Amino acid sequence: MDQLLDILNEINSDVDYEICDTLIDDGIFSSFDIVSLVGELNDAFDIDITPVDIVPENFNSAEAMWEMIQRLQD
Amino acid sequence: MSLVSTGFLVFLLVGVIVYYLIPKKAQWAWLLILSYAYYLCSGYKTIIFMILTTCVTYSAGRLLQYSEEKLDNNLKQEDLSREDKKAFKEKNKAFKKKIVLAALLLVFGILAVIKYYNFAIENINSIIKAFGGNGRISALKLLLPLGISFYSFQSISYVIDVYRGKVKACSNIFKYALFVSYFPQITQGPIGRYDRLAPQFFEEHKYDLVVIQHGLQRMAWGLFKKFIIADRAGVVANLVFNNPGQYHGIYVIIGVLGYCAQLYGDFAGGIDMVMGASEMFGIQLDDNFRQPFFSHSIGEFWRRWHITLGTWMKDYVFYPFSLSKAMNKLGKFFKKHSKTRFGKYMAKALPICLADLLIFFIVGVWHGAAWKYIVYGMYNGIIMSFSSIMAPVYEKMFKITHINKNARWYRAWQIVRTFILVNISWYFDDAATLTDAFRLMGNTFKHAAFSMDAVIKMFGSEVDLIIVLAGCVVWLIISILKEKGIAIRASLDKKPLIIRWAVYILLVMSVATVGYISSTSGGFMYAQF
Repeated sequence: MDQLLDILNEINSDVDYEICDTLIDDGIFSSFDIVSLVGELNDAFDIDITPVDIVPENFNSAEAMWEMIQRLQD
Repeated sequence: MSLVSTGFLVFLLVGVIVYYLIPKKAQWAWLLILSYAYYLCSGYKTIIFMILTTCVTYSAGRLLQYSEEKLDNNLKQEDLSREDKKAFKEKNKAFKKKIVLAALLLVFGILAVIKYYNFAIENINSIIKAFGGNGRISALKLLLPLGISFYSFQSISYVIDVYRGKVKACSNIFKYALFVSYFPQITQGPIGRYDRLAPQFFEEHKYDLVVIQHGLQRMAWGLFKKFIIADRAGVVANLVFNNPGQYHGIYVIIGVLGYCAQLYGDFAGGIDMVMGASEMFGIQLDDNFRQPFFSHSIGEFWRRWHITLGTWMKDYVFYPFSLSKAMNKLGKFFKKHSKTRFGKYMAKALPICLADLLIFFIVGVWHGAAWKYIVYGMYNGIIMSFSSIMAPVYEKMFKITHINKNARWYRAWQIVRTFILVNISWYFDDAATLTDAFRLMGNTFKHAAFSMDAVIKMFGSEVDLIIVLAGCVVWLIISILKEKGIAIRASLDKKPLIIRWAVYILLVMSVATVGYISSTSGGFMYAQF
């Protein structure tokens, strides 16, 4: 989780990822951020995030992203 | 059958009455009958293309589902090694890819031949002529099927969603045919998604006066935008864009602003009519506009304007392209060979910029078979890509100049800047040719003395000018309220009966008394797609 938070802070350090659960719904992350983030997550966790996985439920919070990462690692 | 014809209103009225009288389980079948009846009344000669698209995408969905179920059964076998499982999965994936590719080729193939064959031939003939050849390929007389761009995009989204496992394939071809042909949205969208539309079609809808009222309110609001603003503003736009050498300076700007009001009023008004008609059957369509002229950037504008086309592009082109293996490799290559911080940023931005350019090329082509539309699309794509590339430079500039980008004056400037950039794009959209668009742009910078009389003459009369301006002010006020999160119709429902009816009568009477009716009124601009 710490590694994920480091990546997220590199994308946008103005967000409190412990609390925020509307990263997509409130437009905090743009499609530019999402594409950058997906590249970083794929490399860091050795997963393959595909367009199917890019839904708000998977990216609205750090928690949701962490769950998606674990799911894709299984 | 135009949405603003008496015929359509009678058709809708009969449709709604029968819909709520028949058994609830038959409601979807009635909608299918209405949809095909509407299509037959509007363009029976080309209905075969819609039926073909329906059959192709339905079959593709079924085959994808069958393949997935077969895989599940294979994986349930005992004593399967990891390699065996992997082989089954690979085989399934390869088969599914072939199915999607075949559906894409067939559906977009029909669209390409009908919509773009003559444009391609025209360009090939120009090349032959440029090289001194005498040969000439003949153009074809092809009828453009009603709503072909909309139903093609909608049905392809279904195939991809089934491929991705987002939705289950529809087992009943008649139910699926309703998803493709649903009559309120067939002419100008919004482009629907199966997971949101289908459940609404097949659930039972009870008669509810509020639902009917809301539908009628939305339709009346659409008529207001269309007849009070769009068609009247269109007079000025047509005058300027049809005579590109005749107008200069401020008069060209008035023409462009007129086109802006015409296009937005026509398209958003048409969508209101569509959504209102659909609401009367208890079916909510996806929103297509969210106050686009309050956008702070071109990117945001496209997230608020023609939303369903934008999200289609994002889900089915932008992400698959920017996350593809090729783009991943390209990004990594640049990252490896970049030494500066900006270079590393560029490595990240490049796939996204290329995806933006691709999307807006498609958006341009989607709008029509002409170079002006391709330039229109690329103009937007280049601005988006340039903004992405320059983002770190802008951030640096903000730090140096101590500009607070959240300050109200700066946010207001962003809205004005976006409005200007969007209006520049209309030159390409509305001019007859690319040459005319550039000619009009050049003429914008030529001096022409301002005369109020000349402006009134352009609009036809002083009354026409006042009506357009007053209509725009009303629309602006409503937009500000919506932007502030006020649900207009819900708040109107809470008002006393007398106030509610006063608003309804005012709205209907304003359309009836000051609505602009001419020989060219009635059609919708986006119905030609």
